[in-house]
Amino acid sequence: MRARALLILAALALLAALPLVATSYYLYLAELAMINVIVAVGLNLLSGNCGQISLCNASFMGIGAYCTALCTTRLGLPTLIALPASVVVSALLGAALGYPARRLSGLYLALTTLGFLELVGIVIEEFPEYTGGIRGLKVPRPDIFGLALQSNTALYFFVFVLTVAAVVVGYNVRRSRYGRAFDAVRQSPFAAQALGIPVGRVKVIAFSLNAAYAGFAGGLLASVVGFIDPPEFGVLTSIQHITFIVVGGLGSIAGSIAGAVVLTALPEVLRGVQEYGELIYGLILLGTLLFLPQGLVGLVARLEMLRPAKQSSKPPAKEPVYGAS
Amino acid sequence: MALLEIHALSVRFGGVAAVTDVSLVVNAGEIHGIIGPNGAGKTSLINAVTGMVAPHSGSIRFSDQEIAGRAPHLISSLGLGRTFQHVELFGDRSVFDNVLTGFYRHQSYGLLAAAFRFGKAGQSERATREQARALLDAFDLAAYADTRAGLLPFGIQKRVDIARALAAEPKLLLLDEPVSGMSEAEAAAAVTTMRKLAREHGITLVVVEHNMHVLMNLAERVTVLNQGRLLATGTPAEMQANTAVIEAYLGDAA
Repeated sequence: MRARALLILAALALLAALPLVATSYYLYLAELAMINVIVAVGLNLLSGNCGQISLCNASFMGIGAYCTALCTTRLGLPTLIALPASVVVSALLGAALGYPARRLSGLYLALTTLGFLELVGIVIEEFPEYTGGIRGLKVPRPDIFGLALQSNTALYFFVFVLTVAAVVVGYNVRRSRYGRAFDAVRQSPFAAQALGIPVGRVKVIAFSLNAAYAGFAGGLLASVVGFIDPPEFGVLTSIQHITFIVVGGLGSIAGSIAGAVVLTALPEVLRGVQEYGELIYGLILLGTLLFLPQGLVGLVARLEMLRPAKQSSKPPAKEPVYGAS
Repeated sequence: MALLEIHALSVRFGGVAAVTDVSLVVNAGEIHGIIGPNGAGKTSLINAVTGMVAPHSGSIRFSDQEIAGRAPHLISSLGLGRTFQHVELFGDRSVFDNVLTGFYRHQSYGLLAAAFRFGKAGQSERATREQARALLDAFDLAAYADTRAGLLPFGIQKRVDIARALAAEPKLLLLDEPVSGMSEAEAAAAVTTMRKLAREHGITLVVVEHNMHVLMNLAERVTVLNQGRLLATGTPAEMQANTAVIEAYLGDAA
């Protein structure tokens, strides 16, 4: 437990020190990775914990991005109001989709969410006076209390603090009655109902929460990149989000972080091998899915098992007598 | 005083009648056995009472409320709990998490409070974790608290299932074959625990079994089902003397 706290502190310290050494390009990459971490934490609560698939995660990201863009440019609202507004709008639309979808699962849910994705794409194209249509939209840099974050370091810390907050919130939810209800609904809806857990409502909550995360990440992405490019909110991005959590580890916050960071960094690392980059990316993805069914976190757990067993991690040898007390 | 009243209940799956015209009354505080050979309709009866299948006809009253056809989580929230014949644990969660999940309906903090850990959330979590630990102790499960529930032997999983159901603090608990898969010694100990539970917590128990011997030492009254119909109701001793029961059930067991 203490080792884990130290590890987290060390990672935070390293991330806080990054602007001292990294060039602006690498800072930008780190920001993208952190935004993907937010997306993955949210999606993992819905898919990894609650067991509901979604192919429209990119749509909620888009909804958050446009909402932030419109709030700042049209309404002249500060970023610190535009972002929460984006979260609320996404969460409400997430609930609106989650309510009719609560009885669906598997392929039917996949197709329903795919339909929603198409719908959002059409809305973006059909209302160019608001969305800029296929040409996209320019978004101003984020500001705090009227001060625009002009320096790259300031922008980096802005994203950094918000990402840490989003991860902490995810951790809190996961360890709350809601997180337990998500897991219960996925693993045995019958047992969940028998314990008084309203399965339908819990699914709607999970959908809405995930949409809130995606919307938040989308708003942040729009501010960081400074531009909204509509094709980014297509099905490929949704699938990329799913690979984050599957490669990282389903149902795990650490897995969400690992998957998002590794898969954001990988294409950069593979740039050196030029045209073979995508091939190797694909092979790594396939290898992880085939050989690490529990994802990257599962790999860590396996490595830990190789170490000499500790007292606490061993299952008790003697079976206590039932009802002896 | 009647806690659960089932009147003329029928359950059908397509053209197959699983339960036909069954009526029975469970009084508050009693241990009531439901027995019958395989296919007698025991589990269908439980599923109808807990809302997991919709009854074809008839009425089910619990705590003076009609519950037939209501959503399962609403029925559970009235204080009617159940365990499962083939345990339905949350297999990849720890035993501790399984039991914690059972407290769901007794925690009331909202999603925002959970997300930012303010208000009742922290206090409710601390109190609930303490209660869950006490429950694990009472069931001798403390040693398995951090073990993934799905990795445990079946007999222990059954115990976790009961502990988890009790976390919801039901007024009436339906136990679906609670000792199946247990060794003889385990089963005897389980019977002792169930009796203790009923007495100490004032919980009414409905125990579904196909093994008459288990109920003989446990139940105060027994309802015998056969082929989806009610055969007889009475004390265990009366049932053992009832010719219809012997013919239908004990006959081929003896």
